[in-house]
Amino acid sequence: MADTTAGVAANSKSQVPPMTGAWWKLGTGFLMIFVIYGAFFIAKGAAGFGESGDKARAVFFHVPSAILASVCYFVGMYFSVIYLFSSKRSTLEIDAKAAISMELGALFCLLATITGSIFAGIQWGVFWNWDPRETSIVITLLLYSSYLILRGALNSNPTKRANLSAVYCLIALVPQQFLIWAVPRILETNHPTKVLQNSGNTSPDYRLILWCSILAFTLLFIWLFQLRLRAYRLVAKKEAAR
Amino acid sequence: MKASTGPNDASNWMAQARCLFLKDLRAELRTRVAINSVGLFAFSSLLLVALATRGLREVMTLRMLDLPIDIIRPADVTAAMFPAWSAASKMGLLWTLLCFAAFAGLAHSFVHEEEAGTVTALRLSMSPAGVYTGKLAFNLTLLFAVALLVTPFYMGLTGMQAGNWPVFLTLMLAGCIGLGSTATIVAALAAKARGSGALFGAIGLPIITVFLMLLLNAANTLYSDSTDAAAHTIKTVQDVGGLISFGILLISVSAFTFRFVWEE
Repeated sequence: MADTTAGVAANSKSQVPPMTGAWWKLGTGFLMIFVIYGAFFIAKGAAGFGESGDKARAVFFHVPSAILASVCYFVGMYFSVIYLFSSKRSTLEIDAKAAISMELGALFCLLATITGSIFAGIQWGVFWNWDPRETSIVITLLLYSSYLILRGALNSNPTKRANLSAVYCLIALVPQQFLIWAVPRILETNHPTKVLQNSGNTSPDYRLILWCSILAFTLLFIWLFQLRLRAYRLVAKKEAAR
Repeated sequence: MKASTGPNDASNWMAQARCLFLKDLRAELRTRVAINSVGLFAFSSLLLVALATRGLREVMTLRMLDLPIDIIRPADVTAAMFPAWSAASKMGLLWTLLCFAAFAGLAHSFVHEEEAGTVTALRLSMSPAGVYTGKLAFNLTLLFAVALLVTPFYMGLTGMQAGNWPVFLTLMLAGCIGLGSTATIVAALAAKARGSGALFGAIGLPIITVFLMLLLNAANTLYSDSTDAAAHTIKTVQDVGGLISFGILLISVSAFTFRFVWEE
């Protein structure tokens, strides 16, 4: 009897893992609360962002979103490569993981665009001035959207959808990498990357909150990824039962 | 007796590509559908731009004649189309026209095979590498031909200068390679997705936008006045090199992944 119960539990665990690791999810919540409080009440402003430096507080939310927007693409690319080139692990769940990464990438990219626009509005007086970095983040958003549009067009055939969207993910990697590495180097931009990279412009508490924010956003991404994957597995299980 | 070579024989793919290229070229010379549609699209778009920039030409013509701007005479408006744009902007407009024209014409390169029912025959007799290379070669030839036809006409109409001829020609060549490589792989994806032209545009235009950004930057360098010749040369090599590397990288990734599209 005990063996049967254990077997059922093991079976259900292999298909839909239970909510485990609540401690780190609670930790993510507390860390995010600390980041929001610290961004406005603990960290001092940064030099090069007006007299008070308060404008640099937008960075606490913009930079982690922008980093995650790029990281999500790499995670999506990793699963796409596995799907295409690994005969053993080429399953629809791997494709779903790639799609989830790309969906979350689109979300973080949208957040980076909005927070970047707010920063441009308070720093330069206009919410949008077609700076190369502003254009880059919008094009990245378009690349994510194109991937999702292509998937939407192939909903009726999951295998074909997995194959073609994985190929598109790798093809769009070329312009995406150009946007990250080439465009900021060959086009003149007002983006204050170098101002922030100079540690003399920021205080230790500013850097602490920024790093905590990057960690909190990364944990949030992992959490959202797990949630979406659980949802996918539940739908897949329901469809398999039919 | 020579052993027969299969469709996936690696040594055979160049011959297969040549065969497919000549087949497409012969079909194209017979019907001229692609070159006519791409060329006509480019010229029609140019006409639309000429109409849309009428206000700019009026102001320019009146300024040239030293007349007050509020006086508009029909005779002045019919003057040649020399809008008040910089040479780099004119180059940007030329490539915007060429991009849309290419997307209108090259979308059919794989759809045509699907519709004609020749996909299965091609798949049985040719390797994916042969098909990709053949289609890419044909699309690039078509783009070179359209660029050769449209560019001199556009330069005459808008007064766009070449600037430094070797750099200008390299930029045009790099532009054709980038545009052709993007259009080829996106056309293959869209044909497999059996999507409409809208899908082809939706998944291809974001990629092309990055390429256009790089091209406009190279055009700005080409037409910029610089007192430091050495720094200008370095910037030119950097910008044009970036543009060429975009096309080469896209071709490399496409060559790696095309078999997954083709064998789907």
